[in-house]
Amino acid sequence: MDLDDFNWGLPSREQLDGYRIWDAYFTPSIGHPGSDGVSGILADMDRSQRAALELGRFEKLCLFPHVGIGTTSDPDLEDLLRRRPGVVRRLFEHWPGRLLGMIQLNANDPQSSRDALDRWLRDGPMLGVYFPGSGPGALSCSHPHFPPLVERIAEHGGLIMQHTWFVTGGNPQPGMSTPTDLAALAAKFPEQIFVCAHAGGEWEKGIAAVRDSANVLVETSGFDATAGFLEKAVRELGPERILFGSHLPSRSLGTELSKVTAAELDEQAKRLILGGNFRRILGMAAPGVGQ
Amino acid sequence: MKRRRLLQTTLAGSATAMLSGGLTTAVGDDSSFAGIIDSNVSLFRWPFRRLPLDETEKLVAKLRTLGTVEAWAGSFECVFHRDLASANARLIEECARFPELIPVGTVNPALPGWERDLDRCIGEFGMNAIRLHPTVHGYSLKDARFREMLVGAKEAGLLVQLAVTLEDSRTQHESFATPDADLSPLVASLAKVRGARVQLLNLRPRRSHMVELAAVPNLLFDAARADGTDGVASLLSTVGSERVLFGTHAPFLIPEAALIRVHESALDPAPLRSVLRENAEKLRS
Repeated sequence: MDLDDFNWGLPSREQLDGYRIWDAYFTPSIGHPGSDGVSGILADMDRSQRAALELGRFEKLCLFPHVGIGTTSDPDLEDLLRRRPGVVRRLFEHWPGRLLGMIQLNANDPQSSRDALDRWLRDGPMLGVYFPGSGPGALSCSHPHFPPLVERIAEHGGLIMQHTWFVTGGNPQPGMSTPTDLAALAAKFPEQIFVCAHAGGEWEKGIAAVRDSANVLVETSGFDATAGFLEKAVRELGPERILFGSHLPSRSLGTELSKVTAAELDEQAKRLILGGNFRRILGMAAPGVGQ
Repeated sequence: MKRRRLLQTTLAGSATAMLSGGLTTAVGDDSSFAGIIDSNVSLFRWPFRRLPLDETEKLVAKLRTLGTVEAWAGSFECVFHRDLASANARLIEECARFPELIPVGTVNPALPGWERDLDRCIGEFGMNAIRLHPTVHGYSLKDARFREMLVGAKEAGLLVQLAVTLEDSRTQHESFATPDADLSPLVASLAKVRGARVQLLNLRPRRSHMVELAAVPNLLFDAARADGTDGVASLLSTVGSERVLFGTHAPFLIPEAALIRVHESALDPAPLRSVLRENAEKLRS
């Protein structure tokens, strides 16, 4: 046995290239991008490079920039991002052609969120929105602020990524949403695509909560590599309703990619989960993008 | 105990030779590697769901594909049963079917007669290690019985594997939620039982407690939940590469997860070999 010949539990490079991996949940410095608006994110992108690009062979990664509407608790940063939106655009030059973006919305501030939707979603280059589960922008998606925002997002053809958790131990954070909350919201907008980030964390309940919501997909990252997750998700939802997310660099390629590549699933299901589904729904959201 | 240990080592060596296609299995040879030692697997059924690898044949087959030639196996039965003598005996029987599996019995110092279970693990079963589940079994690391058990294990030369948790507290079953073990009393306990060898399993390393834990001599770690793309490298830089053993927490966790994570951390060859095998080997000597 030679360490140089180890496969390390990873599919071959050819297999990984064949999957055409599009990461729906890339989280470099997601809580705070750095006081200049980018340095923390760029550092975390460099930190993720080996995992995402060299080992994982990801084609594209989707991140969730702050855009100065109160999603951080740093007033100077918020002011900078409002005054100089070009700072946010700089992120996309770091790995040219690799990055997709969905802005973080602040449902606690509907007016600023609507303005940001017009600036970033209607006019591009963002493809959707991310509703966070913590920080000053967090608000349960059962709140009345959500339906009008969803209407505006739908008008602009955006995808909605909602952070979700069912917390059975630990302390639920204020403003956190559950998959049940999301299913109720999604029922009001059957034509809109929603993504249930982290499949609710406690995924057996999370999958059950969104099972009958055909317009809700689940995203795979953010919890330990608990065995049986993807097999259960495919049984209940079908492979078309699952998106791979890496949560890099705060989670690892090992934890997140193995959920899909080591699962007892056929290759077609893995291709859909690892990239095909994301391309499909982005194609629906913004024709041409997912090609 | 020594006969059992020798038998297991020999069998594992045979498996290594088979897996390596007859190549030399000498550890330290630059061109070869004798295979991974996984310090953290469990056998039998997880009570809250079926796991894809919860049949021992499937688990061992998977470990073989990953280059694992030896796995230290606890038992989910031992977590949840009170009759630990029977559960440990079944673990021994099951491990005897697979040359890779080294049984790690469980002792619960909160149960009456725990000393007999410890004695059986040492004498009757000839084990090299025992596994503890303090939060599930309901005792604190301040408990005098825990310290007594440490003394007994130390005198017998046993490694004590202490499971900090089995599952993220946020995803546990509502009726069975247990927090991570409070490790703060461990520092004092190990100071009083010098020479005791303890390995923490399934610890999610956090800055807030790693500095204190890193200062405890003889305290070992596994990397089953050292998450983050540089999580394993970070753990090694905090505690030293000689104190981290490879562990997957399979079949509860997907075993590939830990292995990819080690690879992802881009360790130099020497610490890489230490983590994957040599640190575990040293515990046997």
